[in-house]
This record gives sequence, C-alpha cells and structure tokens, in this order.
Amino acid sequence: MTLNSDKPVRRRGRLHPSVQRKLRIAVPYYTLGLIALVSAFFIFDPPEWRLWIPFAVLYVILEVFSVEVNDRLFQSSSIMVIMTAGVVAAVEQGSDATFAMALIAAAGSAVIADFKERRWFQPMANFGQLVLSATVAGVLLDLNLGQVSSLQTRDLIRVAVASSLAALAYVTINSILVRKAVKTVYGNENLQPWSQMNVLFSGQVLMGLIGGLLGAAYVITDRPAVLVLIVGVYGIGHMSLYAFSQLRESHLSAIRGFVKTLEAKDMYTRGHTERVAYFAQMIGEELGFTGTQQETVKWAALIHDLGKLAVPTELIRKKGRLDDNEYAEMKAHAHLVEEILAEVDFLQPMVDIASGHHSHYDGNGYGGRGHTEGQTPSLEACIVAVADAFDAMTSARSYRMALSQQYALGELRKHSGAQFHPDVVDAFEKALNKTGRRWGAPHVNDEEMARRLAEEPELTLRG
Amino acid sequence: MASWNPRIVTATSWLFPIVTAVLGVYAATRASTTAFALLVAAAGLAIASLIDVATSNSGNRFTTGLAVAAAIPFVFSGVDGVDTAGTLCAYGLGLSAVWVLRFSRGEEHDVLLPTLTRRFGGYVAYGLVYSAMRVGVFSDLSGGWEDLLPFAVALVAWLIVEVVLRALLILGPRELSRNYLARAILHDLNVFMGLVLTGALFGELFIEIGWWAAPIALLPYSFAHSAFKRFQETKVTYKQTIRALARIPEVSGLAIDGHADRTTSIAASIAKEMGLGPSQVEDVEYAGLMHDIGRVSLNEPNIIRMGYTDDDIARWSAEIIAESPYLERVADDVRHQYDPFRKPGEQDDPDISIISRIIKVAAAYDWKVHQESLSPLQALEALHAGAAYDYDPEVVASLRRLLEGRGVLMPVRA
Repeated sequence: MTLNSDKPVRRRGRLHPSVQRKLRIAVPYYTLGLIALVSAFFIFDPPEWRLWIPFAVLYVILEVFSVEVNDRLFQSSSIMVIMTAGVVAAVEQGSDATFAMALIAAAGSAVIADFKERRWFQPMANFGQLVLSATVAGVLLDLNLGQVSSLQTRDLIRVAVASSLAALAYVTINSILVRKAVKTVYGNENLQPWSQMNVLFSGQVLMGLIGGLLGAAYVITDRPAVLVLIVGVYGIGHMSLYAFSQLRESHLSAIRGFVKTLEAKDMYTRGHTERVAYFAQMIGEELGFTGTQQETVKWAALIHDLGKLAVPTELIRKKGRLDDNEYAEMKAHAHLVEEILAEVDFLQPMVDIASGHHSHYDGNGYGGRGHTEGQTPSLEACIVAVADAFDAMTSARSYRMALSQQYALGELRKHSGAQFHPDVVDAFEKALNKTGRRWGAPHVNDEEMARRLAEEPELTLRG
Repeated sequence: MASWNPRIVTATSWLFPIVTAVLGVYAATRASTTAFALLVAAAGLAIASLIDVATSNSGNRFTTGLAVAAAIPFVFSGVDGVDTAGTLCAYGLGLSAVWVLRFSRGEEHDVLLPTLTRRFGGYVAYGLVYSAMRVGVFSDLSGGWEDLLPFAVALVAWLIVEVVLRALLILGPRELSRNYLARAILHDLNVFMGLVLTGALFGELFIEIGWWAAPIALLPYSFAHSAFKRFQETKVTYKQTIRALARIPEVSGLAIDGHADRTTSIAASIAKEMGLGPSQVEDVEYAGLMHDIGRVSLNEPNIIRMGYTDDDIARWSAEIIAESPYLERVADDVRHQYDPFRKPGEQDDPDISIISRIIKVAAAYDWKVHQESLSPLQALEALHAGAAYDYDPEVVASLRRLLEGRGVLMPVRA
C-alpha cells in the first residue's frame, strides 16, 4: 500500500504546520530506507539483472494501477510480484532475496512518484516504508530458504510457510508505517482511517503467499511459459482489488449523491448529514467500535434523513412551530426511509438504526422499525440521535442562529438519561474535547437569543 | 430458442446427453490415457460446471468448469503430443453428466440445450486446435515461451465457436440481437480469461510437478472466483440502491407509481432489440430509472406557485444525477429526454443521444398506457403519429416489434 497525499501548502518564512508534520515522517522514513538499501548492498550478494529488473517493471505497472480501497488508501497486487522475485532470488545460486527485494521496492517507489506535481512527501515516505518492508521480508526469505540448494516439489510446503511469514512481515511493517504517517500528517481529521483494514490485510498476506508459491513453481518447473501465466495471475490479483474498491465506492457514491440532493433543497441543512456521520464515528471510536460497526454507524448516519426528501420542503424550512398535522407529516420521514430503501438488502441494518434516530433513551419519541414504545433503542440509534441533535443545535436554522457548543453540550447533558443515552453523551463529550475543535457560534448561549438574532439581523453581539 | 418448436427443443435436448456420452465412450476406446484418469477428468469437469462464478448481463453463465476444461488438454499431453481422443472423451462424458445434473436440478430444456451445446462446441474446438498444433509444429514441449502459442490459438478458436454458436442458438428472446451478443462476449472477456488462465496455469504446472499443481493453482483461482462474485454483488446491490432511490418521487406522491421501473424495463428491451452494447443498455437502465427523479423538487413552495414544464423536470433530474459519480455519464441523456427528435425544418439534433430517444419513447408509452389508460395499440398509434418529429421512428419501430413479439398487440390485418 502506498500513501497518496495532497499538495503541501507553501508559505513564505516559517514552514506551514502541515509541512512540518510531513517532514517529521518523510525524513526518518527516507533515512531508514536508505540505510536498509545501502546495508543490503554491502552485506548481500547482488542479484542477476534478470532476477529483479523484469519484476521491478511489473511492480511499477501494478503500482501505477493501484486502486483506492479505502479513504486515501491505495493498494495494488504488487506484493505478489515482489514475493515471486524474492523466492526466486532466495533459491537461485549466488543471490539473495534481501537485496533483490529492496532494489525492486526502491525502483518501484522512485518511478511511481509523481514528480511533475512536485510532490515530495509521498515519494520520500513511500520509498522509506517500502524498502524497509521489503528488506525485512527478504531477510526472512533468505533465512528460511537460503540453504535450499535445488528446489524440489517436497520443499513447496517449506516455501509456503516461508512466504507466508515474509508476506506477513512485509504487510505488517508496511501498514504500521503507513498508519503512523497518516495519523501524524492528517491528525484526528481522519478518524478510524481504515475500517476494512482486517480484510485488506489478510488479502495482502494471501497475495504474498500466492506470489511466493508461484515463484517456487517457476523455479521447479523452469518453464518460461509458466512465467507468462504467472503475469496473468498478477492481473487476477489486481482485478480482485478493483472489485473490492468498486463494491465500496459504488454504494457510497450513490447514497452520497442523493444526500446532497436532499440537502440542496435547504441551505440550512447543507452538510448536515456529513457532519452527523462525522460525529457519529467520533462517538463510535470513543466507545471502542471496530471496523464493521463503525461502517454501519456511518452509513446509518448518512441515510438518517433520506426520508426528508419526501417531506414537503415548506415544512422543513418553516419558521416557527409546526401544527399537529405538519408535525405528523414531519414524523413520517422516519418511516419513509424504510419504504424507500426496502429493497436494498445490504442497507437493512443501517435502515433499522436510521429509523430509530428520533427514538428516545427512555422509550419515548417516534420512529419506524428502529423504535419500540417504552424500550431503549439500539446503541447505534442513540449515537445517531446524539450526533443529529448536536449538529441541529450548533448549525443555523431558518428560525434561529447557530447555538454555541457549550450550550449544545449542556442541553445534551440536561436530557441525558431521558432523551439521550448517558454513555453516548459522555463519550461524545470526551471525543469533542480530544479534537479541540469548537462547533457552533461561540457566544450564542440561549435559544431565545438565537431566535431573536435570526429575526433581527442588525442586532450584533459583543463579548 | 422460444421461436423454435418446443417439442423439437425437448427432443433435441434429450438427445444431447446420449450423443455426448456415446461420443465420449467411443473416444475412450481410442484414448491412450487410462480409463481411471479419464473418469476423474470427466467427473472433475462435471462437478466444476456446477459451481457458478458469475452470470453476465446477457445471461451467460460462467462456471469453474471453464478452468477445468482449459486444463484438460495440458494434463493429457505428454512429451510426444496430446491424447486427443482422451481430451474429447473427458469433454463428452463431462458435459453429458452436467446435462443430467442440471436437468435433475429442474432446469428447462430451452436453457439447457443452447448453453450446453455452445459449451461443448467451444471445448471441442479448443481441444482439437490445441492437439493439432501440438502434433504439428510444437510437438516437443520444451517449456519455452512458444509452448503458449498452441494455447493462445486454441483459445481464439474457442471464443469464435462460442460467439457463433451463441448467435445461432439464442434467437429465443427476440430482443437479443446478434450484435448485442457479440459485444457481450467481449464485455465478459475478463471473467473468461481469469478462469481459463488459472486452468492453463494448472495444466502447465501439472506437466512438471503433478498434483502439487493443484494447491498452487487453486489459490489464484479462489482469488479470481471471489473477485467475480464481488463484481456480481456490486452490480446487483448498486442497481438495488438506484432503484430504491428512483422511487423517492413515487413514495412522496409526486410521480405515478411504478413509472420509473416500467419505463426502465421497456427502454432496456428496446435498447437490446436495437443492438446496443451491454454497457449502453446499462446506461439506458440508469437513465430510465432516474429520468423523473427531478420531480422531488415539486415539493418546493415557489415551484408549486410558479408552475413548471417537462423541460424543467428534465433539467432538475439531470442536475441531481450529475452529483452522483457513477450516474453522471447519463446526465446529458436525461437532460434531453423531452427534446423532440427533430425540430421542423432541421436535421437530426446530434445533442440528443440514442439513449434520450429511447427514454422518450418508453416514458411516453408507459404514460399513455398507465396514466391516459390507452390500450397498447392506441398508445403505439399515438407514438406513430409523432414519429419523425417527436419520436425517433427507428425507436418506435423497435417498440412495435417488441410488443408484437410479446403478443401484446393484435397484429394489424390488411
């Protein structure tokens, strides 16, 4: 996996904080990678050109076609190539896997770098982390397979074990370093960076194992024809990653597009859904939610207001209180989301949560399937409820200005145990304090003032 | 096959397992491979053919059997050439067993016969071409690059036979034109190649290391398998999502119930009938589902006050679609869905794509039948009246053929 970053912000004089953060990663990574490459050069025998240049070319091609499998995370099937090369180098006489793999990784990261756009962070950091991962994997292969003089079929099990170990090391080091880089550079903005990490992780290790075994098969059979078919297998690996990214992308983009539609109807709710999803994930992380749970909460938050698309815009935008009929119509949006998404099987757990987001902790409130009178709704529904209420208070409405974060948290705490789940409110408060970011208008501390401010724009605040 | 006499289809279908089995047994008597190995290969082919990998838009089923079939000539080849008879025997016995197994699972004759005949033809072409090339120029397998040449040529032969047989056999649903089928094959080439390549990998390795090849080839195979399964799921669930979202105007009472769904199915049938490729048919489906999505805006108070035209709805729909990354490519088609095919005194408007024209006809037809309560024949007559000006005459003609084929229209008598 490789990093893909935005262009750094340049300002005269002092380095921009984001540049500083990038330097803190790029310099040590690059140095360590360089040390690994140079020591491999002195310690190990150099590989023959045919053992690394063709593989380096394939490696680069696969890296160029890497797909975005998760936010800002790019993966490719290049691990297959480097493992094939490693196993071939380890069992050939007079060469070592370590140097061959380090060379391939170095060549790969150098070529993929997008120098035209003057990105410096990405190639430096990727060079370091790829060379380091490749070196460690190579050492493992050399230790396990270096003494095998002529590879026989009965050695295949040994090769399988050795390549699994090496692939595991490669993927582990690689993901730790990339994770560290993302945490440092993007900070808390990128919550729970990769929800599908486990699936992707095991997929990569499996690809490494396949790559290693194919290398062994090539050495044993000694048939160039096999090598051609192996290149076909690399393509299959690429296709499987592509399929993975498609699965994730297509639904998200469809839902997001429609959420935008909903919000375009009303300037006051613009961005609301994305913010609720953000808050909900913050709470989820604080409560120790893992990959799929987080993903479920995020999706539920993204669809929680879908039913509003079918509610007359007048009501959504209406200033002042709604009468009973209007209120009933407004309430219907919790059911409508069920009706609209009834046929989308994979969204059903999220629909349950979304239709319960107006359900209260003490069993009051309203909602569809996700709401049962007198019962506490699911924890996920409580999370979406808190996130929704907080964003509703801290953003402007047609009838009032945005309230301050302090006031909103106070309200959440006031109704904690009745309308809101106390644990969720606590977790949210903690998470908000951690980010240090403030939401809402700084000084608007009561509802009445917020309403008056909206009605009389000439009123200004001092404080 | 629907256009063929069902009795003939059933009779021919019953003949299929008998003919292939007889052929298989006859080939077995002339094979140099042991009877046990032949039976193992045939059984492997039969079992693998029951494992579905993917079904393409055009209804082509891909199974693990393709990988096994690709491996068989490799496995039955020695240093001095291929056991051609053995290969054919495995294909014949294998497909005979597949027929029995699939028939016992309750599959219809008009599905079984064309699919299995086509498969058998493809396999035989592949096996024969591979063997012939190995007998001739590439008699000794040195293990070099040139070993793959017989495989590559045989693969091309396989594909050609498949395309020809598909076009000949699946005349059934009239909407599927031959042009569409040929494009569908190219469209599914990645699935086909993924399966066949892992099969060939197994074969190449088997020559040298025997059954050790199985675990090595099985791992990449499982990757390919899961990738195609996932592609399949993605398509299905994505379409589910879009269909669900398309119902928003209907759920909120701003459009007539089921209009988007019906328009889409008519439009897709017309597109197939006219011979558009699979990806264009897909675009027609998305455009059809989304063509009235702009009606959600009819909630807006100032729109209710000011009134609106069809063109406004097309514009709003296009604006909404343009926001969705995967749908944006049909935004223009939806934008022009109400534009007349040709303005008086002008040439055809190149801005109006074939997709827009199809949607225009399909939506108008559904509106006339379900909102204005016209009979299908009356609706079609109304469309005919507007053909060449409002509606593309070719699309209207295609709709007429479609409706006639379905028996909805009483054919016009002189």
